Amino acid sequence: MKKQVLSMCLGLTMIISATAGCGKASDALQTEVQSQSETPAGAESADSVEISFYTTDTGKDQMFQDIISDFESKNPGIKVEYIPGGDDQLQQWMALYASNEGPTVSLMDPINIWENQERMLELTNESFISNIEEGALSTMTFNDKIYAVPQTAAGVGLLYNKAVCDAAVGGNFDPTTIKTRSDLEDLFKKIQATGVDATCFTGVNWSLGSHFLCQVYGAAIGSTKERVDYVNGIISGSKKEIDNDVFNGYMDTFDMMIKYNHNAADPLVGDVNIDAAALGAGECGTWFMGDWAWAFLAPVASEGQEFGILPIPHSDDANDKLNQSIATLYAKGYCIDKSQNTEEQQAAGLKFVDYITSDSYAQEQMATVCGQALPFKNSSVKLESPLGLSTANYITKGLTYDFYGTPNLYPSDIWYECGAFMCEYLAGQTDRATLASKIDEYWTKQEAR
Amino acid sequence: MMRRDFRKRFGDILCFAGFGLPALVIWISVVLIPFIFGIWITLTDWNGLAMQIHFVGFENFHDVFSDPTMGTSFIKTVIYAFFTVIASNIMGILLALAVTSGIKGQNLFRIGFFTPNIIGGIILGYIWRFIFLYAFTAVGKGLEIEWMKTSWLTHPTRALIALIIVSSWQLSGYLMVIYIAGLTSVPKDLIDAAYADGASALQIVSTVKLPLIRNSIAICIFLSISRAFMSFDMNLSLTAGGPYKSTELIAYKIYQTAFTSMEFGKGQAQAIVFFVIVAIISLLQVYFTRKGVDEQ
Repeated sequence: MKKQVLSMCLGLTMIISATAGCGKASDALQTEVQSQSETPAGAESADSVEISFYTTDTGKDQMFQDIISDFESKNPGIKVEYIPGGDDQLQQWMALYASNEGPTVSLMDPINIWENQERMLELTNESFISNIEEGALSTMTFNDKIYAVPQTAAGVGLLYNKAVCDAAVGGNFDPTTIKTRSDLEDLFKKIQATGVDATCFTGVNWSLGSHFLCQVYGAAIGSTKERVDYVNGIISGSKKEIDNDVFNGYMDTFDMMIKYNHNAADPLVGDVNIDAAALGAGECGTWFMGDWAWAFLAPVASEGQEFGILPIPHSDDANDKLNQSIATLYAKGYCIDKSQNTEEQQAAGLKFVDYITSDSYAQEQMATVCGQALPFKNSSVKLESPLGLSTANYITKGLTYDFYGTPNLYPSDIWYECGAFMCEYLAGQTDRATLASKIDEYWTKQEAR
Repeated sequence: MMRRDFRKRFGDILCFAGFGLPALVIWISVVLIPFIFGIWITLTDWNGLAMQIHFVGFENFHDVFSDPTMGTSFIKTVIYAFFTVIASNIMGILLALAVTSGIKGQNLFRIGFFTPNIIGGIILGYIWRFIFLYAFTAVGKGLEIEWMKTSWLTHPTRALIALIIVSSWQLSGYLMVIYIAGLTSVPKDLIDAAYADGASALQIVSTVKLPLIRNSIAICIFLSISRAFMSFDMNLSLTAGGPYKSTELIAYKIYQTAFTSMEFGKGQAQAIVFFVIVAIISLLQVYFTRKGVDEQ
């Protein structure tokens, strides 16, 4: 009996040890709670200050390190520690805060900044704010206070290979001729007739659950207030997705696009590199993505190849300006921590944000590597990315709308939770009514916006 | 006399302080305290970063028990664990029998089969993800094999099977080492006697070797149960819960709740409930296996 008790005790001990992974975060929390009353971290001396920069814009290490080197050379008293985020940007951010090493400057999604605004330094009265395009600040503004500065303006839509479209229409393809869903389907039919797949979906949750689905809560609903009211209606249960014309409009377009999907045989493989290669090689004529895809497209594109972005029409109304507009998102913003950084570090952080948003070298690096339009008034850099240029063209024409509307319109996990529903729908494993009810159910678990 | 007792006791204390205390302090610091602290978090609405933490009582536990997706994830985890435990142990025993049979280069085989366990789940997951997504499909298309033309990872059932196959493959090398230790301790004269009595190789394995390595089997089953139930890294890198959350095992779900949905309290409550379930299953397994050994 004693042996049995002993073996059971040992067994329990091993399980506790093994389940400690679940407790690691709590270990971190302990440090976190203690940290509230501790002295902020950051080694400093009288004449120099060390700050940290955490970025969730992955795969651009060299660009950020070059920018930091240039910043340090122009600001001799400031040293910047570069901390790139991994696959899970939030986990690493939490870990840094839990170990009392909250980054001085972080490049985060607006929802993450909004959820942690109590830690963030208010930037409303900073001089560099006047250099930011007014329209780009709404996502970073909470209760009339600005807490972050946007990095780039990203355009979401249907990327097209102009050579394929030219061949399909038998001449020079003009993207402005696509004003309705029917126009788009006509184009698809013509592309298909040339023996090329008309479009392509990358079957991943973030593309479908965030970028496609969230158009349903976009400008087609109305003003920002109307968008928030609509979402709150879904949350309270007074409104249903399936009864909404905008939802059904975008889903009609989605259904139409599914018929011409390059990845129809195995729709959920979800490889951005392969899909970019397919568009570049002319195996498909269009691809639902965003202008950030230039990072994948550029290495496979031949010199002289032309690409652009088409809007996703949600109806057959040629007079609906929205059918000719693309969603632009300010997906990431620079924010400054005040909870774990000294005043000197915060001041240095402000200098860094000022530099990265207004310095010509930083802007040039950002425009070249990211290939996206910059929302900075003093920016005169020329974009090399045809996709970024296309977005900039839509911005110039006033044919864009703010994807987010407000910083907290979309919950931080919508891409994962609703992305799974959209993937299921793309794979033909569920119908629209079930999809709509699952999305409704997801929203009912959220707090009112 | 008293001085001798005191010296002995002091020596014992010193011996414990030298050997046991460091490990005990580390274990309390990195396991016990976080575990207890984790229980406290379950009673709060903490999001993992907020400076204000509110006490919410047992609300998180109520959410866990009223969440139907938790049950779905648990059932998938049980299915995954059941087949992984069986497959990895059978493979582990077979590999151990093979590499203790005196074949040429058996040490090389031992290293080879154990290597996947050293590489780590994340890297293995990415390697196998590539194999399932591109290598298998290329072979399927080339040879016109219908079920291999599309990726296993884009179909719910096949993705779970893929997860079980890769996890079993990884785990079997680790279990093989424990089975090797058990098999090498089987007295050779017993095997020789069995041969002399005319027993076949299969009979020797089933009636001599396996009964004598029962302790190794108990250890391996315990280890594989706990590792299968808490499988996370392979789940993350191979399927990421997909397609459409059909392979979202409990540990991965807890991670998503805590770090993607930023519901740390709820995620921790899920972890505690999961801990209790795994503890009960593992203790029952240990109890019944020990009982069997004692009765023998």
